[in-house]
Amino acid sequence: MKTPTLPPTTTLLRDARTWLLQGRLPITTAIALLLATLFANLVVADNFLTAFNIRSIFANVIPLAAVAVGQTVIVLGRGIDLSIGVIATLSSVVTVSVVEPWGLPAALLAGLATGAACGLVNGLLVAIVRLQPIVATFATSFVWAGLALYVLPPGTAAAPRMPDVIVLGYRDTLLGIPNAAWLLLLIGLSWLVLKRTRLLRHVYAVGGDEQAAFATGVRVARVQVLTYVIGGAYAAIGSFAMLANSGSADALAGGGLTLASIAALVIGGTRLSGGAGGAGGTIIGVLVLQLLTSLLVALRPPTDVRQLIDGLLVILALALAGLWSGRRRGR
Amino acid sequence: MNLATLRDRAQLAEPRDLLRNPVVLSLLVLLALFAAGNLVAPGFASYGSFVNTLRIAAFLGVIAAGQTIVILGGGEGIDLSVGKIATFSTVVVAQVSQGEDERLLVAIAAAFAYCGLIGLANGIGVAYLRIPPLVMTLGMVGVVTGIIRVYSGGQPEGRAPAVLSQVVNGTALGGVRGSVWIWLVVAVCTIWLLRRTTFGRRVYALGANREAAFLSGINVQRNLVLLYVASSLYAALGGIMLLGFAGAASINLADQYQLISIAAVVIGGTTLAGGIGGYLGTAVGAVVLQTMRNLLIVLDIPAAGRQVVNGVILIVLLSLYGRQRRLRQ
Amino acid sequence: MAFLEMRGVDKRYGGVVALDDASLSAERGEVHGLLGANGSGKSTLNKILTGVVAPDRASIEVDGADTRIDRPQDAHHRGISAVFQELSLVPDLSVTANIVLAFESTRLGFVQRRRDRERAAALLERFAPAFHGNTLPLQAPVGSLSPGEQQIVEIAKAIAREPDILVLDEATASLYSAQVEVVSAVVRELRAAGALVLFTSHRLGEIYDLCDRATVLRNGAVAGAVELAETTEAELVELMVGSVTAPAQEVVEGRGAASLEAARDVPRLEVEGLTTDRLQDISCRVAAGEVLGLGGLAGQGQSALLNALFGAVRIRGGSVTIDGQPALPRRPKQAVDHGIALVPGNRGREGLFPVRPILENLTVPSMRGRARFGVLSDAAERAAAVRAGEQLQIKYGSLDDGVMTLSGGNQQKVVVGKWLLTDPRVVLLDDPTKGIDVRAKAELYEVITALTEQGVAVLLNSSDDDELLALSHRVLVFFEGRVVSELSGNELTRDRLVADSLQVAAT
Repeated sequence: MKTPTLPPTTTLLRDARTWLLQGRLPITTAIALLLATLFANLVVADNFLTAFNIRSIFANVIPLAAVAVGQTVIVLGRGIDLSIGVIATLSSVVTVSVVEPWGLPAALLAGLATGAACGLVNGLLVAIVRLQPIVATFATSFVWAGLALYVLPPGTAAAPRMPDVIVLGYRDTLLGIPNAAWLLLLIGLSWLVLKRTRLLRHVYAVGGDEQAAFATGVRVARVQVLTYVIGGAYAAIGSFAMLANSGSADALAGGGLTLASIAALVIGGTRLSGGAGGAGGTIIGVLVLQLLTSLLVALRPPTDVRQLIDGLLVILALALAGLWSGRRRGR
Repeated sequence: MNLATLRDRAQLAEPRDLLRNPVVLSLLVLLALFAAGNLVAPGFASYGSFVNTLRIAAFLGVIAAGQTIVILGGGEGIDLSVGKIATFSTVVVAQVSQGEDERLLVAIAAAFAYCGLIGLANGIGVAYLRIPPLVMTLGMVGVVTGIIRVYSGGQPEGRAPAVLSQVVNGTALGGVRGSVWIWLVVAVCTIWLLRRTTFGRRVYALGANREAAFLSGINVQRNLVLLYVASSLYAALGGIMLLGFAGAASINLADQYQLISIAAVVIGGTTLAGGIGGYLGTAVGAVVLQTMRNLLIVLDIPAAGRQVVNGVILIVLLSLYGRQRRLRQ
Repeated sequence: MAFLEMRGVDKRYGGVVALDDASLSAERGEVHGLLGANGSGKSTLNKILTGVVAPDRASIEVDGADTRIDRPQDAHHRGISAVFQELSLVPDLSVTANIVLAFESTRLGFVQRRRDRERAAALLERFAPAFHGNTLPLQAPVGSLSPGEQQIVEIAKAIAREPDILVLDEATASLYSAQVEVVSAVVRELRAAGALVLFTSHRLGEIYDLCDRATVLRNGAVAGAVELAETTEAELVELMVGSVTAPAQEVVEGRGAASLEAARDVPRLEVEGLTTDRLQDISCRVAAGEVLGLGGLAGQGQSALLNALFGAVRIRGGSVTIDGQPALPRRPKQAVDHGIALVPGNRGREGLFPVRPILENLTVPSMRGRARFGVLSDAAERAAAVRAGEQLQIKYGSLDDGVMTLSGGNQQKVVVGKWLLTDPRVVLLDDPTKGIDVRAKAELYEVITALTEQGVAVLLNSSDDDELLALSHRVLVFFEGRVVSELSGNELTRDRLVADSLQVAAT
């Protein structure tokens, strides 16, 4: 029997499809957006390339970057955490409250444990009690917010502060590069390490097809719980950056990080329904959001219009990114 | 265990099946909440208190109706912009009417038109540009915030026309306020819309299996747009009612309904995956949530504790019937 | 004591009994057939063995030891792996990642990608003949492969776990014959190595080819365990369904193709030069009352043509006319308006609204015609659904029951029935009898006959060559998106069909 061979066009088509399905298009879009916003900033803002400006951009970016990377891990596993910003808040008030009596390392450890514990509760509710992630984490966000208010009631006269080493060091530079930029690099590296683990492979599998992963022997519930724990831990890291950036904690801050983290990961090309994307894109997404803000500052539009322009720019970025990550199949 | 006993068990299981009905379950929860409240504060479960709860729950109930329709339509459908759209609606009505009765109708028409346009944009983004709904409506929150700022200069002027306040707050039959009557009409219409119209059937079909809906000759994209337009119109109506209640607009009057409207839908037994559920459950869910809030006020605990209790009760409510299917059947 | 003993297995889904005291006993070094009509409980039994479904009651012994299987992991630890009808692959993960999923080579929790790649490559080597000697791209996401290739990956994945017991549940359904042969060879290898293979297939030929013994299930209970060498096909079918003769045969006997010759001058459906991404220059004419078969290897453009005629994919060129009127649809809605109906190939994914009641499943495509200003009358909707149910002999309890409470065959009838209510002029059937039992098949054949008697033009794609030959007046053979031959009259033979499908000269 003659064996039919595949014509070259079919292979080409398949290669193209492979390329798209492997998720390169979303990340390409994200990089294009980053370059575009960067370019716009260079053109519009005279002081964009000053050391001070670059330092403060990186300093402002770290809290969201850490939180968004955490959110990315959760979303990859087909979850979502609407409490992640509040976890960062809770973690920051815990850290700052114990930094004086216990010392810095213990305080950081306490903050990290707080974030991971909150993540654990979220994970158990979603994976074991099987609540729908959106509503479950919306509910827990009240709990974390209440606990944060309890630990550090707002308007406390002598609010505890972080040691000056941290606050000053955060804005300092090492080898001519801002420390915050190093931190961002560390966050990125931590993702690269995480991504090579068996756990993350299973996170992708669960996000891609939960039932298939289950039938293959992946411990779906455990994997999902762990994504929330990791997400909570990253939120804690974000909270340390919040503390270092402002010196003190506020029990009402951090809530805005949740929705921004979702925006960042979508711009970065992570699919909201899980299984495709990655934190590399998310970090780009965070930078895009930050550069849009600084662009707006530089443009100095009338204050009334500023919010509208900001909203339109963000929705434009989301739309461009969502155009690709949203379509899973042809139609 | 042999088959006969299994069959017997199936016979006995009928009352339990009733308990699985989310609407019945949320009604039971409601009773429990009132009973608990009455223990703490006698009079909590009185008729007057109940009617008063309904009066406030009406705003959530109306806004959550749109949310129900969007969620029923499936495809990860969700509308995070309902709260902000409702706020916008209060601002529009207040500014256009300038508190004068004769301009009320124009103001209401303007609110529906503007909000409808925002819903249209949401729908086009979701249906034609294929932006995930969560992202599209989230982004829209930022845009509407900006629009409100531009439209009002950051300081909304005007107030609710007297007629509006009278309609919303006035008492009719049995001490029941106007807002409750409006809600009742909205509820009946919504349930009818979902159960007895081709639009309703299409909503369920889209939610149950979008691919099959497309292959059954349903214009998926146009109907998706309609979902989001409907949602924004309900939000606009909720905002108008809220303005009548509050008297004056502010730049964040109805923002709180963004996520709580989703909670009402889920507590009412509509699944976020789409295709299953209905408005009756959402309506009960709205009353449950409002009763819970009242209970927390009656309990008179400090803000921190109130938040925690709020969250815990929400989790308990959700775990009663917001649970997803097991992987292993 | 056999190597695998399953006894007293009960499972109910709600009120439906799936398994009633079922049992199974099989030895190492055996290929054991698990047979039964649809809804007989084969898949449920397989899934209980592999931990995907929790039984109400079961005793399982492997190698003489009592075995509890509460989760898929437990099954894997006992050396049981499975290939199911619905794939358990993750589309976004690469071929390698899928094959080693949950079995990755790791060091300190990190995946050792190169070792995994080597393992996967070695494994796929065995299947190389199925890809004309090419190897699969190990790095490509599984979602980019064709259905047949995905099925092979799925099988490779199951074998990668070096199972003592391998469950193949309709694992060959989407493969064409060359690929089936490769899989058969691998199965025989496993048998020689002392593994037990549980094999389920609707194609009796494969059962006889591969299996030594078979257990037959009927309505969730064991109807018999037989030595295949001593059992005829008719006996086997009788065990499966009571007593029914092969349905396709009956239909062909009652049909005179000659009567159509006259009608063919006035085509109901005429397609000229239809071209899409997957189709090249397709032309055909179908007369009223004619069944035009679409044949060839799986996935050569048959489904693509049906989808194109229904407006479900973008059309690049060509024309379509129905009764002389232009009817090139750009969306399914337009196709429906032109009187075209499509019974799609995957009823679960494309045909049903699984969480909705039978009533809505039956009435949605046709409800617009009964509505007044978008308002529906409950009585009219129910009457329409009852009419469709009677026409197709759908067995249901109440119209308000969920459609998934029906058996597979009845579900498929619902998908057909919803289109009968639109009074179609052209009906497109995409493998309508795939995976449904013999009796339901026979009833669907009757419906097709009834449709042609009403003057409907039918286009039929079928993966079952015998069915295609029996039902069609003519058959177009597809190869890589083109029609390579048209068979009619005495050319309508199995030999010609297979030869043209493979693009080889008939022997």
